[in-house]
Amino acid sequence: MKKTRAKSKGQKGAEAKVEGFRQNLGPFVVAAETTRMPMVFTDAREPGHPIVFANDSLLALTGYDREGLLGQGIDVLLAGAGEAETAGLVDAAFDAASGSELEVRCRRKDGGLFWAAIIVSPVRDEAGNVLQHFASLVDLTRHMQEEDHLRFLLDELNHRTQNTLATVQAIAVQTLRGHAAPDVVEAFQGRILALSKAHRLLGRENWNAVSLRDLLDQILQPFGLDRDANSHFTVEGPIVHLPPKTALTFAVVFHELATNAAKYGALSNNAVGQIDISWQIEVVGEADRLRLVWREIGGPPVSPPSRRGFGSRLIERGLAQELNGEVKLDYLPAGLVCRIVMPLEPWLGERA
Amino acid sequence: MTSALSGRRVLVVEDEFIVAWNLEDMLAELGCVVVGPAARIDQALVMIDTGAIDMALLDINLDGLASYPVADALAARSVPYAFTTGYEGDNMRVGYQTSPVLRKPFHPSELVATLTRLLTKDQ
Repeated sequence: MKKTRAKSKGQKGAEAKVEGFRQNLGPFVVAAETTRMPMVFTDAREPGHPIVFANDSLLALTGYDREGLLGQGIDVLLAGAGEAETAGLVDAAFDAASGSELEVRCRRKDGGLFWAAIIVSPVRDEAGNVLQHFASLVDLTRHMQEEDHLRFLLDELNHRTQNTLATVQAIAVQTLRGHAAPDVVEAFQGRILALSKAHRLLGRENWNAVSLRDLLDQILQPFGLDRDANSHFTVEGPIVHLPPKTALTFAVVFHELATNAAKYGALSNNAVGQIDISWQIEVVGEADRLRLVWREIGGPPVSPPSRRGFGSRLIERGLAQELNGEVKLDYLPAGLVCRIVMPLEPWLGERA
Repeated sequence: MTSALSGRRVLVVEDEFIVAWNLEDMLAELGCVVVGPAARIDQALVMIDTGAIDMALLDINLDGLASYPVADALAARSVPYAFTTGYEGDNMRVGYQTSPVLRKPFHPSELVATLTRLLTKDQ
């Protein structure tokens, strides 16, 4: 009831104002009327921001005819009208001293909903008083749908990767059972699981980058690393984000180091020793360089292996060839020391 | 730890036969008695109706169908269960988020930890 009265009253004024526009700003009004960007002007001096101008694109987007829309408050376009949250967003956008933007769900005349970004700017007179607001809408429905679809595909890809790794694990274990020594089966299984954990972390981060600390937590957890409890590990270093390829290689490398430590090093013989992992970032010109040390102490006396096994080749080649890094394995009597130096792309994303 | 699992009857619901097969072997090594495996929801429901089950491992996605009806049937009989899944993140349906989840692929030691947790929950 109230709306109808406001409309007829508002509409009269609105028409007069558009007429005023036309005379003052002829070519601009034509441009506003015909642009493909949906837009409205609202009256700042009446409550509820009644619409005083709507262009053809906005009418096409919302399904209203001009007579039905002019004079109505801006709420008529919003799905959440009457809700405190939406009202808060709208007030904030319209009260802002300069342009602002809000993302809200909008409602078409037929009740259909769509997401839109609404860009609101105040229009002032010469004295600086806000007379009107100019609001343009960007329909985000398609964008949101594409985002949802992408999210779905990525989830599906992550899921399939993990299921495939589970199948590979099962095939390997079943194939090798009875034909290979149990520790061979275990070694294979461990490597597949390390790879799977790195994939899982990457999936969680949308394949952007994963933190070195998180990666270490995941890979070394089966070997007793526990952030909340005293463990045989100390881990220290600044926040570092690893790109996907680096993360996958590191996962395999740390898994090998830990496996080796459990067999022959600081974690062998009921784990009497300790593993200290520390790293620094050096800024060298444009690029960063990561220096990481894995140091084992307190284990049984160490001597270099008589033969290069798959594990040490994997550590050395993986880092050298895939990551353009240098790795040095020192079999010191007190324990193995592994030093890794490698270039690191500067991390451009948000720091979590 | 393992001895507590010995002789427990564990229902396996898993649609990928080779993964199910491997899981059966892991459970056998722990001394568990495998019930199933069931590859479909209706098969699992029949097994729950007819057999004695101490615990269950439940693949969330059975060839495109969510296995929540099986979870409900288990819950109705107070049989503790854990989901197994290759999915990551918070896509568990509301009402099931407190159930333990075993992320595939998993190491036999993770299976032991999960089953032990189910057992403790049961008591």
